[in-house]
Amino acid sequence: MNVHVARSGPAKRLRADDGIAKGEQLLVVDNISLAFGGVKAITDISFDIAKGEIRAIIGPNGAGKTSMLNVINGFYHPQQGTITFRGQTRRRMRPHEAVAQGIARTFQNVALFHGMTTLDNIMTGRSVFMHQPLWWQAIWSGPALEEEIEHREAVEEIIDFLEIEHIRKTPVGSLPYGLQKRVELGRALAAEPALLLLDEPMAGMNLEEKEDMSRFILDVNQQYGTTIALIEHDMGVVMDLSDRVVVLDYGCKIGDGTPDEVRANQDVIDAYLGVPRD
Amino acid sequence: MLNQIFVKPFVDMVSAPDFLLQVVWEGLVSGVLYALIALGFVLIYKSSRIFNFAQGIMVVFAALTLVGLHENGVPALLALPLTLVVMYLLAMAIERVVLRPLVNQPDIILFMATIGITLFLVGFGELIFGGENKVMITEQLGIPTGSYTFEPWGGLLILEQKDITAVIGAIVLVLALLLFLNRSKMGRAIRALGDDHQAALSVGISLSTIWVLVWFIAGIIALATGIVWGARAGVSFALEVIAYKALPVLMLGGLESVSGAIIGGLMIGILEKLFEIYWGQPLMGGNTETWFAFVLALFVLLFRPQGLFGERIIERV
Repeated sequence: MNVHVARSGPAKRLRADDGIAKGEQLLVVDNISLAFGGVKAITDISFDIAKGEIRAIIGPNGAGKTSMLNVINGFYHPQQGTITFRGQTRRRMRPHEAVAQGIARTFQNVALFHGMTTLDNIMTGRSVFMHQPLWWQAIWSGPALEEEIEHREAVEEIIDFLEIEHIRKTPVGSLPYGLQKRVELGRALAAEPALLLLDEPMAGMNLEEKEDMSRFILDVNQQYGTTIALIEHDMGVVMDLSDRVVVLDYGCKIGDGTPDEVRANQDVIDAYLGVPRD
Repeated sequence: MLNQIFVKPFVDMVSAPDFLLQVVWEGLVSGVLYALIALGFVLIYKSSRIFNFAQGIMVVFAALTLVGLHENGVPALLALPLTLVVMYLLAMAIERVVLRPLVNQPDIILFMATIGITLFLVGFGELIFGGENKVMITEQLGIPTGSYTFEPWGGLLILEQKDITAVIGAIVLVLALLLFLNRSKMGRAIRALGDDHQAALSVGISLSTIWVLVWFIAGIIALATGIVWGARAGVSFALEVIAYKALPVLMLGGLESVSGAIIGGLMIGILEKLFEIYWGQPLMGGNTETWFAFVLALFVLLFRPQGLFGERIIERV
């Protein structure tokens, strides 16, 4: 594909503004309980995510963090409780609808399309915006071509932003892990989410890669104004990045507040953080 | 003996080039069909990692529906779009009743589910259309039945018009599919879905929409195959086996590769015909076409385990 991309300012943003001011509630999780048969994954958890903030979800392994993310993005349906996103309380929803509403995510174990290039992977993130009819798409002309070019611009912008120009045409399966994580972030960004869910974005990375990823997360938050909810085990990163932290243990919420508040919470220290050695 | 294997066939080929051409043509016609069916398999495999055992019975079902509708007084040119509607409904039913409840099950379970679909369609088809053989409504569909005769190098070459139609029709279908797969966002979505269901869902690709679509395309392919093969061999449940002729094509071409299916199909079609005429009949009493393709495919797999064109994904561990 040889599309000439005109570099004239940022690509058009497609997501309509929702009128929620920075700092107001973007997502409210209210009394959510989730069980698989007899196993209770999440019990009666409530918290909110404010627009524009970076919200961390921490806790020991098996605490229900990923389950919580899966509930928010529609993979799991809780038995009890409600989720309100952008002021709308949600009924049973399917995951592909979540992204249309503005919730994008990455996965704990990288879930990229391994046979496809970086560019194509990120392009799939635009699926939600591509509406031109099939016949135009099939003959590669008319409105569908314009649409494709427009989305290409947006994707190139993301590629620039994440500094992955050099691997645009590389099949992602052959990329090192740190870069795969970055491509996955790019794919989620391509959907122009209002809320971005990151499941252990720094797992398995070395220090340098972690620093890069932290910088990208902050940049996404500041430049695009994207609200971010992230699960992470590296406490240094969590405390530096996040505005507020919610702590889970055995499916229950045991702490919620600013990093400093959480650090001082005795329950959290007992369950997860431990006592500093000195 | 060695002479008969290594020398005589080639001497025969050179001494009667017109006959060679005829053999290659016949092989090409079968090959185009094999390629078409293989594409049906590839498409469904790419989008869902399901090996669709029911592809063969879908050929029979489509052909029976077409002929059955015509027998009941529907004009041929109306029966064709109606059959397409039936195939679309079938795709929707399969997605709703079989595939959707089995999401996230191991691939082998889905494979066995397609065997279930096969058995169901056999019974259902017999119930509605009866078990007796039918004749494909070739003429009513406007497919010419005459033949062209050429005399290259003073010999004789006969091209049947319905074979020519079949080849042209198949080429058009294949090209349309290629455009669709490579150029549309649906194509990208299909590839994405095959790679990782969860990730595809999370970027907003709807599993059910894509599945209905690919099964419908498989249905269109089944109908095209049913018309062409039915015109040659009559419409009966025996048509089902034609689908299994595409298996060696898939072994050769790789389950994920569209170009592999096309080139593999043509290769097998032509090579099995050549082998049958020049080696099979004089040396082994013929009927080698039933097994030659498998032997060829196995031979290729010895040297290229991923098939000739299969994706070789390098996994970092």
